[in-house]
Amino acid sequence: MKANAFNGKGMPAGARSDRSAVWPLLLSRKVADLAIYLRTMIIFLLVWQGASLWIGNPILLPTPIDVARSFVELAGSGELVSNMLASVWRLLLSFVIAAAVAIPLGFAMGLNRILFEMIDPTVELLRPISGIAWIPLGLFILGIGDALPTAIMFYGAFFPLLINTITAVRAVDRSYVNAARTLGVGEATVLRQVIVPAALPGILVGARLAAGAGWMSMVAAELIGAPSGLGFAVEWYRELLMTPKVLAFIVLIGLMGYLFDRVLRALQRGMTGWAEPRGVS
Amino acid sequence: MTRLADSHLLRAAVLPVTLLVVWQLAVMLHTPSPRTPLPTHVVETAWTLLKTGDLPLALLQSFGRVLAGFAWAAAFGLVLGALMGTYRAFDRALDPLVESFRPIAPIALLPLAILWFGTGTPAAAFIVGYAAFFPMIVNTIHGVKSVDPQLVRAARTLGVGRFTILRTVVLPGAMPYVFVGARLALGVAWTSIIAAELAVGAKAGGGSTGGIGQMMFVFYAYSVDLNGIIVCMVSVGIVAMIIDRGLRRLEYWMLPWKR
Repeated sequence: MKANAFNGKGMPAGARSDRSAVWPLLLSRKVADLAIYLRTMIIFLLVWQGASLWIGNPILLPTPIDVARSFVELAGSGELVSNMLASVWRLLLSFVIAAAVAIPLGFAMGLNRILFEMIDPTVELLRPISGIAWIPLGLFILGIGDALPTAIMFYGAFFPLLINTITAVRAVDRSYVNAARTLGVGEATVLRQVIVPAALPGILVGARLAAGAGWMSMVAAELIGAPSGLGFAVEWYRELLMTPKVLAFIVLIGLMGYLFDRVLRALQRGMTGWAEPRGVS
Repeated sequence: MTRLADSHLLRAAVLPVTLLVVWQLAVMLHTPSPRTPLPTHVVETAWTLLKTGDLPLALLQSFGRVLAGFAWAAAFGLVLGALMGTYRAFDRALDPLVESFRPIAPIALLPLAILWFGTGTPAAAFIVGYAAFFPMIVNTIHGVKSVDPQLVRAARTLGVGRFTILRTVVLPGAMPYVFVGARLALGVAWTSIIAAELAVGAKAGGGSTGGIGQMMFVFYAYSVDLNGIIVCMVSVGIVAMIIDRGLRRLEYWMLPWKR
């Protein structure tokens, strides 16, 4: 039985008997990783607890237990969820608008040299002005409300998306396009079936950078000029000197940032797992 | 050749010039209020602010804070990053902490920083340092890990000491990544100093903490000068561009083997 000498992954037949041993090994490594993770976090929490007992002022540094308690309390009263939903809704809205404008524009600029030469200098002039620097002017134009954080986030997400789309479209291997054309494929089909899939990995990297940049500028915008959202809640409880609640919201901001990154990474792997992701930041 | 350069410049100029002219004409034709910003007024305000020295002073104050925060971040980030890149035990023990704190937007810590340090320079420098720390450490770890182990082994075979290997093999090998980290870190630092000063100004009621963000806040809340705000925005952009270009140039100059 020659065919049996190798299994599907090209492993020698002798390795087969070890294969049953691989799973417990992997599992034990996962358990070990988890143990190290827990050890680090427990030491961190103990240090925090010790420091807050030593300082002895719950307004300056509350204990982790206080923070956990107010987290549960805020979650129970629905305040956590309503502020989170306000922020996430703005994030999604501005992200969708930014993608809808930046990705088609990026394709147009990546494919057409004259258009690129006309628009790119203006983009490079505006890009260094961070979204946060627009907040005072935005407050004048849009006032305090939903519109300001959404607009600032749109601005923050727009440039990473646009620049990564342009770079990705330009990096598409010309020989694929030429091969498709030689075979008589129409321009629209070339775009849809060759250029879009080849550019997708770069665009998704841009999306991940955009979500990160947008999240950061949105927290700033909410802190200064919004009647709701996570940034607003942090500042509100700071003014009331309720530090455990401030920290509870900060923890939530970290969790949400982590989750967005995870979701976009999973999307990246699922949609373009074949590619080595590279980005321009 | 000159005609080609001319056409490049022409194409580059069309859009900004059109936008400026439309802006100027639209305001001049409507004149809704004397406060509406005009390109010509922006230039005038910029000239006045430059002449009185207010704008350069504010930019210098902000940049000084950025450097103070960045120095801390770079020192901690480089040392911890080198340790975590070299020793697996360090990496596994500290990675959970780095990954737990990294997603927290630096600006979200501003209220906490105000509670701890008041509304002065330390609060702003804390935010800047926090923001700059993560790009530094992540890129340093990556750089140290990406050093070719063959080079390290070769040096060790030749009997070179541990510290000399670190100095002459590992650090130069990690430098390109460290530079990327520094460039990203200074970029975020500059962005977050504006946010910190804006928010500190907003909370302190326009105190004398200074800086370009504070200046913007004063234009916003007290003198209601939109032209001034736009001057500040443009100069924030110019400084960001100078930081980026300057570090790229420094990298080109210091790492000749990467050209």
